[in-house]
Amino acid sequence: MSDETQAQQAERQRIAALPFDQALAEFKQVVEKLEAGNLPLEDSIALFERGVLLQRRCERMLSEAEMRFQRLVESGGGKVRAVDLPVGDTDGSG
Amino acid sequence: MREPLEPSVQPLRPATDPAKLPILTVGELTGLIKGTLRSAPRLRDVWVEGEVGQVSVSAAGHCYFTLKDERAQLRCVIFRDDRLMMPFEARTGLRLIAQGQIDVFEPQGAYQLYVRALQPSGFGDLALQFEALKAKLAAEGLFDSKRKRPLPAYPHNIGVVTSLSGAVLHDIRRVLARRWPLARVVVSACQVQGQGAAQTIVAALRRVARWTDEQTGRATDVVILARGGGSLEDLWPFNEEAVVRAVAAHPCPVVVGVGHETDVTLAEFAADIRAATPSVAAELVVPARADELARLDGHAGRLQAAAGRSLTERRQALNTERRALESFRPEALLAGERERVGLLLDRAARVVQRQLEIGQAELSRAAEQLPALLAGHVVGARAALGRQSAALAALSPYATLERGYSIVRGPDGAILRDARRVAQGDALSVRLQRGEVGARVESVRDSSS
Repeated sequence: MSDETQAQQAERQRIAALPFDQALAEFKQVVEKLEAGNLPLEDSIALFERGVLLQRRCERMLSEAEMRFQRLVESGGGKVRAVDLPVGDTDGSG
Repeated sequence: MREPLEPSVQPLRPATDPAKLPILTVGELTGLIKGTLRSAPRLRDVWVEGEVGQVSVSAAGHCYFTLKDERAQLRCVIFRDDRLMMPFEARTGLRLIAQGQIDVFEPQGAYQLYVRALQPSGFGDLALQFEALKAKLAAEGLFDSKRKRPLPAYPHNIGVVTSLSGAVLHDIRRVLARRWPLARVVVSACQVQGQGAAQTIVAALRRVARWTDEQTGRATDVVILARGGGSLEDLWPFNEEAVVRAVAAHPCPVVVGVGHETDVTLAEFAADIRAATPSVAAELVVPARADELARLDGHAGRLQAAAGRSLTERRQALNTERRALESFRPEALLAGERERVGLLLDRAARVVQRQLEIGQAELSRAAEQLPALLAGHVVGARAALGRQSAALAALSPYATLERGYSIVRGPDGAILRDARRVAQGDALSVRLQRGEVGARVESVRDSSS
């Protein structure tokens, strides 16, 4: 989008990195604010665009997320690290 | 117990006068034995464990049976009234613990245990320990419902404390991956039964508490402590004080899922939520993404509707304003404002249109990717999008074009409403229902003059 301002771009990037619960909460707020009305047209449009970005962020996470499944190990000094745990290691044969 | 006397035994050779010896009758001797046994405090209240041999119930309702182990047998009696009061009955082959008094039944010359109480073996001790610990921890308030913490609605990080071997971890992984793959799951391995299991469970819970996400610094939001079903002895680590306290003191909510049906372990009493099985525990800690998609779709519908309403209101306001302006003759200032609003509406319609196209494309993609269980939801979402498209199309400025009107833009790309803003030779662009036409101004007539 060539007509996108820097602020819009920053907002787009921020939304693309939001965790699900936060994106969903912001999305709900946008919907409620837009439903309440009484906004200048520019604000309505900006809000709508933001709402769509948030909605897509949520949808994408729901349909594309791949679960990280790891095992905690303790290394020297009592530090706890997570290391990947392949499916084969938990196949129920043990 | 001794075998009968061997045949090689020496015949009696009385060294003294038998008349001077205190010779007892059988009855007297038996009475002596009876007195001796009865006066032994140790035998007045005994607990004895063994396997039940022969059992018989007399016509009067008394129960006679033997308790035995590798070395000996013990005759036992339960009188009718006691027997009818007992929740538990002696049956051949059972291991049990009997409590009662040793006495002699003179007519048969037999000593026997007069049983007052019976319990299944291996249960008694543990059951007593269990009740004692339960009472103690309950008195401390460890099981109070006001201590229970709510589970997070959307956990980012989930801790799982269980054994790495066996079906439990596999089941938990399957449920979490299906319902909420957005989560990061960290498994802290422990031993779930046998000697030392309790310490490994406590250590595994502590390990989870010490971990935080490398990027976000976030700890786990919820922990699942799980094991499969088993006997009371197998489940015992979940009744040990250290484990119960570790569950109660854990920094985030703990869901305990133990696969068994009857006995509830103390760890479950201390848990923030108790689940019937490990799989149920996994279901409890995460939302279902199918539900969330449906909910999201509901919000999206409201967003589109609100945006549509807002545009309709503006359009009506603009039309009112235009009529008012036209009746007063336009003034340059107001015309500029009006154009600004017109452009915004234009932009809004474009935005909505673009989102609809993207939405369609995403839905087609989602329909291919998502499992069959979501297919119905996607069809519904597509129908909703279709309805929104129709509604938006009706308020798009392009709908006007279908009725035969055109949009004319001046050299600067702005919509042209006033002939005085162009001069002969200016390039215009004319947007029709289908396509665009480039044109040039031949003459200008100002209708207001």
